[in-house]
Amino acid sequence: MHILFRSLLAALALTLVSATFALAADQAASVAPKQARPSLLLAYGDVDIWDETGQIIKKGSGGDKMTLSDAAAQTPDPLEGWNRMWFGFNDKLYFWALKPVAQGYSFVVPERPRLWVHNFFHNLMFPVRFVSLVLQGKPDAAAVETSRFIGNTAFGLGGFADITADSKPYKPIGSTEKDLGLTFGYWGADNGLYLVWPFIGPSSGRDTLGYVGDYFLTPATYINPWYWSAGAKGYEKVNEVSLRIGDYETLKDASVDPYEAVRDAYLRNRFKKVND
Amino acid sequence: MKKLSILVGTLLLVAALCSTALAGEPQDRLRSGIEKVIAILSDASLKGAAKRPDRQVKLRAVADGFFDWRELSRRAAAEGWNKFAPKQQDEFVAAFSELLQKTYIRKLEKYNNEKVNYLGEQIEGNQAFLKTQVTMKDKTIPINYVMIKHDQWMVYDVVVEGVSLVKNYRTQFAKILSKDTPDALIQRIKDKIKSLDEGKNVDDVVGKEG
Repeated sequence: MHILFRSLLAALALTLVSATFALAADQAASVAPKQARPSLLLAYGDVDIWDETGQIIKKGSGGDKMTLSDAAAQTPDPLEGWNRMWFGFNDKLYFWALKPVAQGYSFVVPERPRLWVHNFFHNLMFPVRFVSLVLQGKPDAAAVETSRFIGNTAFGLGGFADITADSKPYKPIGSTEKDLGLTFGYWGADNGLYLVWPFIGPSSGRDTLGYVGDYFLTPATYINPWYWSAGAKGYEKVNEVSLRIGDYETLKDASVDPYEAVRDAYLRNRFKKVND
Repeated sequence: MKKLSILVGTLLLVAALCSTALAGEPQDRLRSGIEKVIAILSDASLKGAAKRPDRQVKLRAVADGFFDWRELSRRAAAEGWNKFAPKQQDEFVAAFSELLQKTYIRKLEKYNNEKVNYLGEQIEGNQAFLKTQVTMKDKTIPINYVMIKHDQWMVYDVVVEGVSLVKNYRTQFAKILSKDTPDALIQRIKDKIKSLDEGKNVDDVVGKEG
C-alpha cells in the first residue's frame, strides 16, 4: 500500500514537473524563432520540416533536401511527347465517352446500388490483394483480407454488401489495398520511367509490370468469351467513374499544366500507397 | 483506500488537463476554420444555385482567414520566387490564390456531411503539421495540413492522399519557369482563370504543350 501510494505521488509530481517544463519550452520555442525567420526562400524542399506523412525530415549531408516522395516524383519522363499524346487521348476518352456514359448511368441507378456494385468488384479483386500481401511478407494482413473476403462473399450476398467494413483487426495491419506494382515498390524497385497508357492512364515501368501480373490475378479476366470479360471490366470502370465524377475535373481545372499535375499526383500517391 | 481513490482522481484530472492542453493552438485554429466552412455549406438559408454567389463570398472570406496565400505561393514558386520582382510576386500571389479559390471552393460545394477526424498535431517552432481524416461514403481520405505562424497560425500546404498541393504546383511552375519568364507564368494562370470564368467546358482547357 505504502509503496503504491508513494509511486503514485511520484508519478503525479513527475507529471506536473514535466508539464511545466514542456509548457515553458513551448513558450520559449514559440517566441524564439520569430525574429530569426525572415521570409527568405531556400531551395527545393529544404524549407520543409515534415515529409508528406508527418515524419520529420532528417537534414544532414547534401542530397537530403528532398523527401522520398520528392524522389519518386522525379521519376524520369523520357517519353514525354508520347505520354502527352496518350494523356490527351485519355482526356478526350473521359470527357467524350466515359463521363457521359457514367452520368447517364448514375442518373438511372441511384448511388446506393452503385456502391454495392463497387463492393462486389472490390471483393472480387481479393486475389490481387492477397497475393500482394503474401509477397510482401504480411501474413496478418493477408489473413485479415481472407476473412473479409470469406465473410463478404458468404454473408454479404456474394460481396455486394461490405459487412466486414466495420470490423477492425485486433492489431493494426496497415493498408490492405495492395497490388503487384506496389509490391515491387515495397521490395525496393524504382518506378523506372513514367508512362501513360491508353485506357489505363498514368503508370510507370514498375507499375506496368505489376499491372500485367494483376491482369492474370483478376477473376474477370477469365470470363469466357472475351467480350463478356471486357464487358465486365468496362462496366466496373463506368461504375467507378460514376462515383468519382468531378475529381479529375477539379485537378484539371486547378492546374496550369494538367499533364504535370497528374504525373506528380500519380507518382506521389503511388509512393504513399507503397508505404501505407 | 479513500486517499488512494482521491489521488487516482487527481492524477486522472491532471492527465486530462494535459491532453486538452496538448490539442494546441494550430489544431484549434484549423478546427474553427473547417467548422466555419461546414456551417456555411450546411446553412439552409444559403442552399441552392441562386445563393451560390453569397455562399462563395462567405467561403472565400473564411479561406482568406486561414490560408496564408503568400507563404503558399512562395513555396510553390520555390527557386523561381527570387526571380520575381516584388510587383510580380504580388501579382503572382493574387492570381494563384484566385485560381485555387475558384476551383477548390467549387469542389467544396459537393460537401455531403462527410465527417472530419483530427488525428493529432506536431509543432516545431512556428510551424505545425496536422493530420486529419475525412470519412466519405466508400472510403476515408487522409488529409494533412501544414501551418505556419507569422501573426496567427495559417495553413500553407494541404497533403491529400500523399500529394502535397504546394509540391504539385512546384513541379508545374518549375517546368514553366525553366522555359518561360515569370510574366509568362502569371499570364498563364490568368488565362486559366479567364477560361474558367467564361464557363468554358473543362474539356477545352487542357494546358498547352509545356
